[in-house]
Amino acid sequence: MQLQAMSTTMASFSPPSRFTATPSSSSSSSSQHSIPHLLNAFLPLRPRPRPKNTPLLLFSPLKAASDNGVGTAVELPPPTEQQAVPEPPPPAAVGTNGSVGGAVAEEVKSVVSGFVDPRWVGGTWDLKQFQKNGNTDWDAVIDAEARRRKWLEDNPESSNNENPVVFDTSIIPWWAWMKRFHLPEAELLNGRAAMVGFFMAYLVDSLTGVGLVDQMNNFVCKTLLFVAVVGVLLIRKNEDVETLKKLWEETTFYDKQWQATWQEDENSSTSKKE
Amino acid sequence: MNSMVLKSFLGLRKSSPETSHFAVHQKHAAISFPQKLKVIAGKTSPKLQGRNLRVAIVGGGPAGGSAAETLAKGGIETFLIERKMDNCKPCGGAIPLCMVGEFDLPLDIIDRRVTKMKMISPSNVAVDIGRTLKSHEYIGMVRREVLDAYLRDRAKENGATIINGLFLKMDMPKDKNSPYVLHYSGYDGKTGGVGEKRTLEVDVVIGADGANSRVAKAIDAGDYEYAIAFQERIKIPDDKMVYYENLAEMYVGDDVSPDFYGWVFPKCDHVAVGTGTVTHKADIKKFQLATRKRAEDKINGGKIIRVEAHPIPEHPRPRRLSGRVALVGDAAGYVTKCSGEGIYFAAKSGRMCAEAIVEGSENGKRMVNEGDLRMYLEKWDKTYWPTYKVLDVLQKVFYRSNPAREAFVEMCADEYVQKMTFDSYLYKTVVPGNPLEDLKLAINTIGSLVRANAIRREMDKLNV
Repeated sequence: MQLQAMSTTMASFSPPSRFTATPSSSSSSSSQHSIPHLLNAFLPLRPRPRPKNTPLLLFSPLKAASDNGVGTAVELPPPTEQQAVPEPPPPAAVGTNGSVGGAVAEEVKSVVSGFVDPRWVGGTWDLKQFQKNGNTDWDAVIDAEARRRKWLEDNPESSNNENPVVFDTSIIPWWAWMKRFHLPEAELLNGRAAMVGFFMAYLVDSLTGVGLVDQMNNFVCKTLLFVAVVGVLLIRKNEDVETLKKLWEETTFYDKQWQATWQEDENSSTSKKE
Repeated sequence: MNSMVLKSFLGLRKSSPETSHFAVHQKHAAISFPQKLKVIAGKTSPKLQGRNLRVAIVGGGPAGGSAAETLAKGGIETFLIERKMDNCKPCGGAIPLCMVGEFDLPLDIIDRRVTKMKMISPSNVAVDIGRTLKSHEYIGMVRREVLDAYLRDRAKENGATIINGLFLKMDMPKDKNSPYVLHYSGYDGKTGGVGEKRTLEVDVVIGADGANSRVAKAIDAGDYEYAIAFQERIKIPDDKMVYYENLAEMYVGDDVSPDFYGWVFPKCDHVAVGTGTVTHKADIKKFQLATRKRAEDKINGGKIIRVEAHPIPEHPRPRRLSGRVALVGDAAGYVTKCSGEGIYFAAKSGRMCAEAIVEGSENGKRMVNEGDLRMYLEKWDKTYWPTYKVLDVLQKVFYRSNPAREAFVEMCADEYVQKMTFDSYLYKTVVPGNPLEDLKLAINTIGSLVRANAIRREMDKLNV
């Protein structure tokens, strides 16, 4: 409403063409007064002044109010801003969107058509579109699939018989997974193990005088080494201890529920005479 | 791990006490190694003078009906108490192939034969299963009112007395040979009326009255966790119904259910769309909407003709037996995890319990005691424990989270998995299978889980 009012005021102040010619400066004489006035009006609404957006904001009311003649030159900034937003593209009337400050930041969650991606063809990823230097860029495939799943988690879609989803993650070769997920973690864990190992070897040596080679021959030391390795593998975060305890309880819980009727019998048998 | 559990299990079982002074000795022995004590119960019980053993079955569903038939055939005076003869119990209605053979069900009871299933993952990856089914294999879809009535009528033909009434309470016997006194309201086929208060004296009671069993309450059987299953019957246009001719669908995902699945099952002339949950019962309507949304394209234009909900037990009650009262079916909590299947196990447990009574009483000539009924529990646990445990493990592994569900659906595409799944479902035996294939399957499962969880970590990064 405010924007509309502003746009009519601006239109009355000066011909629109003047604005297109001078996007970022307020050189047109008659409008020199109006632009700072407009800027002042807009500033309190915006969280932080962004000079790059100024032309956008000035243009958007114009877009809303004026005809298509102006629109052609104006179109350039908005689309570039919009491309930064993945999918879906917000509805066309950015100008009438209430968010004056930062038209880029908000994603309008109105009517969405569903997951659309040019590389998603026929219910699976078209690997030909993922080529990089003649080879398939598997990392990009993994990223694309993650994005698709995230999209569907937030906006569940109906499953369709005409366009069935047939993507299977096993088409991505094992070494791609390894390189991306296993190796960094392995590096981390091996680093930790090496640090702990070095420190422990030093400590044991300083306390007992047993050198590294002799430590390896000792049974106690070998056991401790094994415990250390298993510990580093299983417990990577503090929460893992709790998780492991809960997992153990879980595995035996169902069994206990089934055996409850037999436990009862043991306890009651001594007291009750049947 | 399974065998380890079974061994300690056996030890407990063998200590079924006949007299109290045995118990102390057995409690010690049970923990370490199983005793070869074969308790020949019942044979020491007194012979009944001038009459046969009287058994009352509370509840006339599949469990009650099959128990009544077996008891009546065994020469025992049987009373079946059912409160609503035309009850349409809300139910998925799926029975495995073996049930048709084992219970001699006529083929016209089965409305539909499902030979294909579609599993749909959270990201809508759809996998068809059923390729490995032979031409004579199918999952039968039945209407509960038809099945229950058939089993009851057959029991009646064999000599059981069917009483239309609502079980109210039960007086416990004072000693080993006194009868149980059941109090019930007799309706005699009249609907809506208060019913006449009557009593019935019997020697043994079988509680087959479902998830909210009153018999279970009467014997202090304890509570169980239960899931709420919510279902809408939707009549969809004929052209859409063709798709569901012999196909059932299963939807998995956090939107559809956090710990169960959503389904579209074809019924006689409509589909049943539903979902269930244990942990988030308050959100069941939300899950139902999500299920309908996921199936939207296929059920578009349908009209909801009925809405129903029912509890599904998640595990057996702490006490399934007390004195001469035994629980069977849903009342005992014999519903499998993962698939939520209950009809077959209800009918089978009713039959097993009845068989134990017939055997322990020598066809109704002798009184029975708790030891005889324990034989039914023993046989049941031994026969079906592996099935229940495997399904529990599957539920724990594959219904945990969305990545696990994605892996689950991916695994379902594998032919070996399909064959194993259907073989164990249709015939109710855990088939060992080919060890090499099992190893390959294990590796593939781990691979799928690892991949799905890796993508999940990428998804979390997108959020942040």
